[in-house]
Amino acid sequence: MRSRRRFCCSVLAAVAALLVGFPPGLAFPQGTRGGTITFALYQEPELLNRYIGTQTALSEVTTFIVEGLVDYNEKGEFFPRLATEIPTRQNGGVSADGKSITYHLREGLKWSDGESVSCEDVKFTWQAVSHPKSGAAYTSGFRDIERVECPSPTTVVVVYKTFYAPYLDQFTRGILPKHATGDPAEMTRWAYNRKPVGTGPFALLEWVSGDHITLIRNRFYRDSPKPFLNAVIIRVTPSREVGTQLIKTGEVDIVWDLIEANVPELRPVPGVKIGAAPGPNAERLLLNLADPALDGPPAAEVAKRPHPILGDVRVREAIELGINKQEINEKLLFGLATPGTNELHIGWAKCVTRVTEYSPDRARQLLDQAGWKNGPDGIRVAQGAKFAKDGMRLRLKLQTTTGNKLREQVEQLLIDYMKQIGLEFYIENVPSPVLFGSWSSGAFRKHGQFDVVMYTTNPDADPHSQIEGYFASWKMPTAANGGDGFNYARWSNQVADDNIKLAGSSADLSVRKKAYCAAMDEVVKDRPHIYLYGRSQIHGYRERLQGWVLNVWTNVGWNAQDWSLK
Amino acid sequence: MAAYTGRRLLQAIPLLVLISLLVFVLLHLIPGGPMAAYGNNPNMTAADFARLEHDLGLDAPVHVQYLRWLGALLRGDWGYSLASKRPVLVEIGDRLPNTIYLLSISLAVTLGIAIPIGILSAVRQYSVLDHAVTTVAFAGQSVPIFWFGLMLIIVFHVVLRNPISGAPLAPGGGMYTLGEPFSLLDRLHHLILPVSMLAVVGTATYTRYMRASMLEVIGQDYIRTAHAKGMPARRVLWHHAFRNAAIPVVTILALEVPVLFNGAVFTETIFSWPGMGRLFIESAFRYDYALLMAIILIGATLTIVSNLLADIAYAYLDPRIHYG
Repeated sequence: MRSRRRFCCSVLAAVAALLVGFPPGLAFPQGTRGGTITFALYQEPELLNRYIGTQTALSEVTTFIVEGLVDYNEKGEFFPRLATEIPTRQNGGVSADGKSITYHLREGLKWSDGESVSCEDVKFTWQAVSHPKSGAAYTSGFRDIERVECPSPTTVVVVYKTFYAPYLDQFTRGILPKHATGDPAEMTRWAYNRKPVGTGPFALLEWVSGDHITLIRNRFYRDSPKPFLNAVIIRVTPSREVGTQLIKTGEVDIVWDLIEANVPELRPVPGVKIGAAPGPNAERLLLNLADPALDGPPAAEVAKRPHPILGDVRVREAIELGINKQEINEKLLFGLATPGTNELHIGWAKCVTRVTEYSPDRARQLLDQAGWKNGPDGIRVAQGAKFAKDGMRLRLKLQTTTGNKLREQVEQLLIDYMKQIGLEFYIENVPSPVLFGSWSSGAFRKHGQFDVVMYTTNPDADPHSQIEGYFASWKMPTAANGGDGFNYARWSNQVADDNIKLAGSSADLSVRKKAYCAAMDEVVKDRPHIYLYGRSQIHGYRERLQGWVLNVWTNVGWNAQDWSLK
Repeated sequence: MAAYTGRRLLQAIPLLVLISLLVFVLLHLIPGGPMAAYGNNPNMTAADFARLEHDLGLDAPVHVQYLRWLGALLRGDWGYSLASKRPVLVEIGDRLPNTIYLLSISLAVTLGIAIPIGILSAVRQYSVLDHAVTTVAFAGQSVPIFWFGLMLIIVFHVVLRNPISGAPLAPGGGMYTLGEPFSLLDRLHHLILPVSMLAVVGTATYTRYMRASMLEVIGQDYIRTAHAKGMPARRVLWHHAFRNAAIPVVTILALEVPVLFNGAVFTETIFSWPGMGRLFIESAFRYDYALLMAIILIGATLTIVSNLLADIAYAYLDPRIHYG
């Protein structure tokens, strides 16, 4: 009976399909050439030069077009792109002092306009980005390069002035074609910024401002018959919500960067799949260990005038133990996040530390011991506390960015949790440009005039700039250093400092990993940051798209040469 | 008239300078700034930050930045977008045709519906038709436009489907189907929903203008005289009444000119239309000062000029009006 009905249905479907003229679901074998996919991006790239712009949306587009010498795979490990192998000590790619790095380019590489790729292009990339008038925003490491030598067109020797630990990350953002760019001093005016020439599987055909960017197969791509697709259309949508609507109706094949709340909405839609994996982001509470009345104090001054409440490590521990991270994840993030542990919760330098147990009892005990006694209204009052004058209320300002519903909900839970252990949080949210403002604009985060701020940040696949920036004692923003560094907690720890120095001076990844983890152990113990949850990177895609692998370390299109349509 | 026009245009210059100064200062008073985009980037050192801020001229005091901007403008240089690094006029040039395309078609549809209905509703004052038109017009004016746009998408894009192909009845956004060759039909198809959204609100407004203006005219003595002469009702209506009733409506139309430039923020956002309204909002979120200044100042200029045009048109259409 059932089979007959199914038979009838398929006959009807076939007739209907013939009538309409669209045979549905013709199954091509995987890897068949042809087809176009549409990719919804809710932010338009400002331009397409990763050395000038720092938006993520920008690199989401350039990743189809522009390639670096090496790149990160889905495990956060390096793999060679334009290079033939990853330079290491063993293969002679890294000199004994670690200052000279040799890359070998693949033979016969061509730009999408047919010109040959050579070592001169790599050299030009360095010269252009490090040019003082280039207007480049991303220059990490480039200024530390002393020279780039080209012993042959396919051999690149990069010589650093001093050892630079993230040297492998140096040329992941792409090589600039010398012949198709221009004068480095005019970098911001290059026509290249709007129509980049690259070596990637796709080349830019047109960019209709505010609407879409069309990428077509790069005829000169090295790995024929790849790419399989004819074209990728990047559709700029005014919001994430528009993208989720478009994937439901099948008008787009990929919708970029969803949030947890989109998942229950998209999961039941036939033909739509969700790709999600824990990303390097970590939402955290960043605690100010210095007296917030001070203006950008250096380490020595912080030691003399610690934060009256947060200067005591027992209070910081009590705050973390009083937070039910599991509940935040389940109630507000649909269980799709991972409870927070430390800065390096994924990647090659991953450090495994335990999620703190939710224990309000233990938190109350700690506060009792720290000299914070129960007050008349349930909020504790200092009575023999380490740094606070007797009679001071256990009251802290909690700040995050305005207009973010999830963060506002998390704040509500945090207020609740803290009330239960006798600590009062009061909220004073600010727009994100204010929170993330610069030293010169007087931003309170930079100047150390806050109690607790909550936001997300993440290390790159090479975590050095993040770990040093946030946790090294010499990275506290002060007037003397022009506000350099991100150690807003103003945390100093000798063990962490030593290990960060060690990691920054070693070319051996296993040595670096060990050193970072030793530093992370100190962070976990000392709690300059309290990690709430790690967000997943979530993208929606239609089932007909084959070959995509989610890579949280780079961009959605990192393996677009392997994509095809079912 | 020439002297009057010249005087008005001369008066506009200090006004525009004042507007530009006010807007410039207000924009810079907004907390944050274009450099905040780099504020959470662990790869940028304070030195990088300072160099970039200096290169962009953002480290100078506001009055210096303003004078630099004004100086460049007097030499005909509108400056570069902070985000895209392209000349701001190129940015505007990319978006302006799309906005004019959408809004002029919407305006044509609006007038095509509003004028006959307004006249009809005035001629048959207090009839069932008039009450219905008045009610619908008030509803059209009161409905929040973004809500109405979203409803259009839900009904005509998500819920209702073509019974044969199963495709949505109307596209939910964009100017045309991406990746397909040019097709007039496809363009029209994509216009349906955004034009409906704009036309509903516009029609509501213009119907009210037309009705009020028409009512005023048909109460006049000369209309009664024309009727008394035994002139056919249709001729009285079109030749005597409508011509005079159209004058205020035509002058109001002149005020639509700056709207054609500024775009429709809600409609463009809801229907993914790459027009001026969205460019303005995006630039505002990015603190793209040069681009914002250009959009606001060109908009202000057009407002002043179109007001002047409205006044001139009024005097031309109604000889009783004189400007001294």
